[in-house]
Amino acid sequence: MLSSLPDAIAILLTVEGLLVLVMGTVLGIVLGAMPGIGSTVAVAMVLPFTLTMGQAPAILLLLAVYAGSVYGGSIAAILINTPGTPQSAATCLDGYPMAQRGEAGLALGWATIASVAGGLVSAVVLIFAAPQLAAFALEFGPIETFALILLGMTCIVSVSTGSVIKGLLAGMIGIFLSTVGGDPIIGEMRFTFGQWQLFAGFNLLAVVIGVFALSEVLMRASVTLSQTSELIDFKGIVLPKFAMWKGRLKNLGKSVLIGNLIGVLPGTGAATAAFISYAEGRRSSPNGSHYGTGEPDGIVSSEAANNAVTGGALVPTMALGIPGDAITAVMLATLTLHGITPGPKLVEDNPTLIAAIFTGFFVINLLLLPLGLILSRVAAPILRVREAYMMTAIVLLCAVGVYFVRGNPFDLLVMGAAGVIGFILRRQGFPMAPLVIGMVLGPTLEITLRQGLILTDGSFAAFFVGHPIALVLGMIAVVALLFPLIRHQLAARQSRESKV
Amino acid sequence: MVLLALFLVGGGLYAATFGQNYSSVDTAQSPVFFPRIVLTLWMGLALIALVQAIRTQSDAAPVASWLRLGLLLVAAVIYTNLIGREGFFLPSVAFAAISLPIFGIRNPVAVGLYAITVPGALVLFFNYLLSMPLPVSRFTHLF
Repeated sequence: MLSSLPDAIAILLTVEGLLVLVMGTVLGIVLGAMPGIGSTVAVAMVLPFTLTMGQAPAILLLLAVYAGSVYGGSIAAILINTPGTPQSAATCLDGYPMAQRGEAGLALGWATIASVAGGLVSAVVLIFAAPQLAAFALEFGPIETFALILLGMTCIVSVSTGSVIKGLLAGMIGIFLSTVGGDPIIGEMRFTFGQWQLFAGFNLLAVVIGVFALSEVLMRASVTLSQTSELIDFKGIVLPKFAMWKGRLKNLGKSVLIGNLIGVLPGTGAATAAFISYAEGRRSSPNGSHYGTGEPDGIVSSEAANNAVTGGALVPTMALGIPGDAITAVMLATLTLHGITPGPKLVEDNPTLIAAIFTGFFVINLLLLPLGLILSRVAAPILRVREAYMMTAIVLLCAVGVYFVRGNPFDLLVMGAAGVIGFILRRQGFPMAPLVIGMVLGPTLEITLRQGLILTDGSFAAFFVGHPIALVLGMIAVVALLFPLIRHQLAARQSRESKV
Repeated sequence: MVLLALFLVGGGLYAATFGQNYSSVDTAQSPVFFPRIVLTLWMGLALIALVQAIRTQSDAAPVASWLRLGLLLVAAVIYTNLIGREGFFLPSVAFAAISLPIFGIRNPVAVGLYAITVPGALVLFFNYLLSMPLPVSRFTHLF
């Protein structure tokens, strides 16, 4: 990959490359700062603009919006005590109390430095870990790949929010949706019920945008309308001085590490990382007792971890073709739209593209600092934009994006249906990430299962007996699936003991 | 109710795998081999979730205004249906004009301005700047 670096830098230094990096980061920060939009919806909103772009700029735009939105969430969290994105919820706990005592600029300064540090380290981890993991995965046959996808799915379900059963059921719905249309091996039509529009199957992006963006708009309409929040007096970001970092660097390092580790696990997400890091910071930091009262370490714990997740989440996405969450699933779908097949061969077959994406991701995280400093000055008008205007714009942009993927109005119907069904399922506590990831991984799961059964003469048992890697992955998958059950039992026992 | 519907849908889809003729039905290479595994798990999980829901009696969060939600649901479904037939611009104007008041914008000038300028800007941007034409209405080829 190193040999492709000059070509990759040449791609980034074109007018299109530079514009994508800067504009994407700006858009990401602005959209992330608006409560209710979130990273997935922000990425879905810019999707139509990527369809006229080349492969590298398209992915870089999505990455810039992703990283920018995770950082942007901290602006609303600190200034109006409402996280712009779920990842910034932990930032409210110390950011807003700091802002209330007149240190909003400094609170955002801590958040900015922590976010940049988390993002940069995660970019380095991505650059070094993804090619190694991809090289290892190249040795995988269909049976190992099947076991790997099974493991990815169980991880996603076991750590996603809400009931494990509902997570698994959502995953099954997603996998089933991927089977509609032509059989991947024989080509015979399945579950099309005579509808020719279904011969090519459901459009993944129509389903993703429906269940995340459109259902989010419906969710917002189902709750009490939010009023414009009162803004804290704010004159711009104040970066913390070097002396102020004394005793805090260890907490920063630990938070970055937690974010990276959690990011690599499929399905965990930045919000989980931020809260785990916050809890760990409160336990181990010398300033832990001040957490929740406007302690800078609390902001650092949350923001360093949530931005460190962005690079970590890209490791399994780029190296194995297994998306860690809905955002990386959208990126994989975008790669497919541009004629690239995700999976272990992605790094080997497209070294220049991968080098451009990884280098660009590093630059995006560097850009967070100057752009954060500039954009924070216009934070007040951004936060005053009424939710109504944003929610309506989301629907219009999603319709544009879905239509442009295949130029087929039927996909808009799919988006509408997915939005309504997603809304109903979300209200019942179903997590949507397993559904989307099931739909992404479903075809590979089916093909590798059927290929594996050919290799083993139809024996499921032989799947794991003669394949040690598959056996290990399968065992980890079982543990991952049992993990929530064990956690639940332990919590119940602790609760009983505390009552006694 | 939702879980029961999911169970019944899973059962219906499973039954549908027997209603179609495929070249190889009994082997792992049958087109319905994998979907049947998935649908069996689907039905089993839906049943477990249903039993859990009956035992715990947990309810979904209350809806602030069913009228507002119902209006938006209907508007969104009609909107996604109409774009293919009536083009992008006109249904978008209508959708924005309905959606903004649902979300609390009562000023008719703001609603009118937004409903026309935002879809209009998108049409101009994609149709004429990027040369990526959005669906047009049957009344004019311009939008």
